[in-house]
Amino acid sequence: MKRILTFDMIEKSVVQDKNFLGTIVSYSVIFAIFLNLNSFQSPLIGLMAFVIYFVINAVFLGNAFFEKENTFFRLMFGVLLLIMLLGFVGWLVMIIYNLDVSRFTLVLVISTTLSSWLNRRMKHRNATE
Amino acid sequence: MPLNNQRSIRLLRISEILYLSLAVLSFYLLIASRAGEAHTVWEVLNPGFIPTLFVTTFLLLEILFTSEKTTQKLCFIIIYSILIHSLFSIIIPAGDLSGQQMVLGQTRRVFDNTILHGLSGWPTATVQTFILEMFEGINLQAALTTIFARMFGVDILYVHLFYIPVLWGAFVPIASFLTSRAIGGSEKASVLSSLLVSAFPYAVYFGAISVPNSLGFIFFFYSLYFMLRHLTSNDSKAAFWMLAFSFFSFLAHFLTGIMSFSLLFLTTALREFENEKEHSTTSARILLMVTFIICASLLPLSFIYLRLLGTSTNPVFTLDKLYELPPSEIVGQFFLGELLYGFDLKTVILVIIGPSFALLYLIYLLLKIKRNSSAKFQTRIYFLFAAFLIMLIDYGILKLFMEGLPINEERLWVFRDFIAVPFVALAVSAVFSSVKGFLKARFTSRITVASLKTLSRGGVLQVFSLLLTLNVLIPGLLGVWIAFSLTAAYPQVAPLQTTWYELEAVKFIEKNTTEKYVVIGDIWTIFAGEVIVGIQNPDAYYFRENDKTGHDLFVNMKQNPSPQWMIQAMNYTDTTVAYFIITEPRVGTEEYNNVVSKALENQQLRVVGTFGDGKLYVFSYEKA
Repeated sequence: MKRILTFDMIEKSVVQDKNFLGTIVSYSVIFAIFLNLNSFQSPLIGLMAFVIYFVINAVFLGNAFFEKENTFFRLMFGVLLLIMLLGFVGWLVMIIYNLDVSRFTLVLVISTTLSSWLNRRMKHRNATE
Repeated sequence: MPLNNQRSIRLLRISEILYLSLAVLSFYLLIASRAGEAHTVWEVLNPGFIPTLFVTTFLLLEILFTSEKTTQKLCFIIIYSILIHSLFSIIIPAGDLSGQQMVLGQTRRVFDNTILHGLSGWPTATVQTFILEMFEGINLQAALTTIFARMFGVDILYVHLFYIPVLWGAFVPIASFLTSRAIGGSEKASVLSSLLVSAFPYAVYFGAISVPNSLGFIFFFYSLYFMLRHLTSNDSKAAFWMLAFSFFSFLAHFLTGIMSFSLLFLTTALREFENEKEHSTTSARILLMVTFIICASLLPLSFIYLRLLGTSTNPVFTLDKLYELPPSEIVGQFFLGELLYGFDLKTVILVIIGPSFALLYLIYLLLKIKRNSSAKFQTRIYFLFAAFLIMLIDYGILKLFMEGLPINEERLWVFRDFIAVPFVALAVSAVFSSVKGFLKARFTSRITVASLKTLSRGGVLQVFSLLLTLNVLIPGLLGVWIAFSLTAAYPQVAPLQTTWYELEAVKFIEKNTTEKYVVIGDIWTIFAGEVIVGIQNPDAYYFRENDKTGHDLFVNMKQNPSPQWMIQAMNYTDTTVAYFIITEPRVGTEEYNNVVSKALENQQLRVVGTFGDGKLYVFSYEKA
């Protein structure tokens, strides 16, 4: 039977983060963004990378903190939290020095690491509750 | 599946496809209206847009009253919300003039790495200045837009123009939905509330411009929702998110932060009151009253404390307005504020109708709660009523008892509107339910042509009028309200927005100059410069809007176009090329012709180019 890829399935596999797959994809996307900024400067690549980055990390955060909400609200809260996280880390890095391409990449790496860590930590906590 | 059910689902799908098509058409009409020279969006807006928007709104409302999934309805509302907040960004090439362009001008310094340690830079005059400026909302906004622009790999202008309309369009309706649900609204009423935010002109305006305050309003709305949750639950997560969103609303903008924190105190006090009132009602009430006064005074006092940290404005308490203004104007200012001057009656009505309606329904709910003390959600409704009063009191204090404020007092109306929206939705929903209830009670069986034949003429008329009210009148009225609110949200009168030829001139200079340069121009040229190269960029220097030196140099150039002022500008900014820009619509034809002919006579000045069919001249002078 033909299997249809739904958002729930994507969400489930991202949240499980088996062998850090979601986290690794997220890091790869950051690398792609870095490459795009330095070489191609293509908005199309940027848009695709943006969507993948946001879906993975928003799912991480949404599931970590709003597990009981339904898929739509979980995703929306996840996106909002990711924006807050990116804004806060970016703000800190900017105050400490600046937000050039390498430090911007650092912001993305920190945000992904935190999101992935929070997803794992809260998953365990939610499972034991 | 029953045949009727199948038919209604098919009808629903057709309505949804039609709605989406109309939404796409509306976006297309906005793009088609894009103009390089306009004062307001209304001047160039395609005449088909408002009728299309009305039909789109009507269809959306029809969908909202069906049994479609809530998440689907919210997705439709998000599309709609993004649409109505994008008028400036789509129609005007550089977005709304002034405020958001100034923010972009500053943000470019971060994007271009021409400044270190945030927009205040380092070192500053004092450490406290650095701390104060570190928490200025523009820093968070600059960081966010820079991150988004780098992620997409596009220029910051496009991200800056669209990021608030998109964030507002996506998150404010959801916050409104959640808030309405938190005070007992049904799914349908809550979904309606997420659409009705678009009927409040001030909320629409702030959702359409990319300024730090707008970002702060979004976080404020979420902090309000988590406060409601925290009021009646012991869930530590609600408390955490209430604090987190309050902190972010502070980080985004001082005004929204202070409002969040004052309501946060109120939340804590109300929780304490609920616990204490069993033991000692009097002391609990006194404590609550004192907290209410503190919460209401937090915002006005914070402006005074800001002065201690060395802000540019000098806010003070004063009784001057009370002495100077006639009583009628004092009352008018308290209720209508800036609407008292120069706004037509339609705009005034559109701005106040929502909050007034909400206040009436809120009072009705309070009376209902008083009769039934065990009513659900009563603490949350009391809280929102108190918050509504705080907004009114604060607005009154700021408007009538203070001067020298760094912000426009009317910004407080957005908070008031956020609190009002859920109550308007509950009221509309209550009317809708009573009509529906009456219809069901009067005619129990399913209404068909055959069953209508059994009714008297009066009965048939009654059925038709009730069905008309439910399916046409209520959605139609709401549709008209939302569509008309848009005319009050986007200004009807404004100075000429940044034109395409001003942008072209700035781009041309930037593209064709290899050395460091400075541009002498009027404030409108500075706005255009902010959009393309940023403000006080050491390589492409445009003076700040309020820089006296820049202003004086422009005035001198107008009176006597000579290299003398350009050399001064170059020495002042450590640059080697100076440009002078003069634009006809900004200074008037007579003055423009006069300045241009004088400049052309001067052999030392070189004409770099003319733009906009001769409406703009660029002259240059290079250091020897």
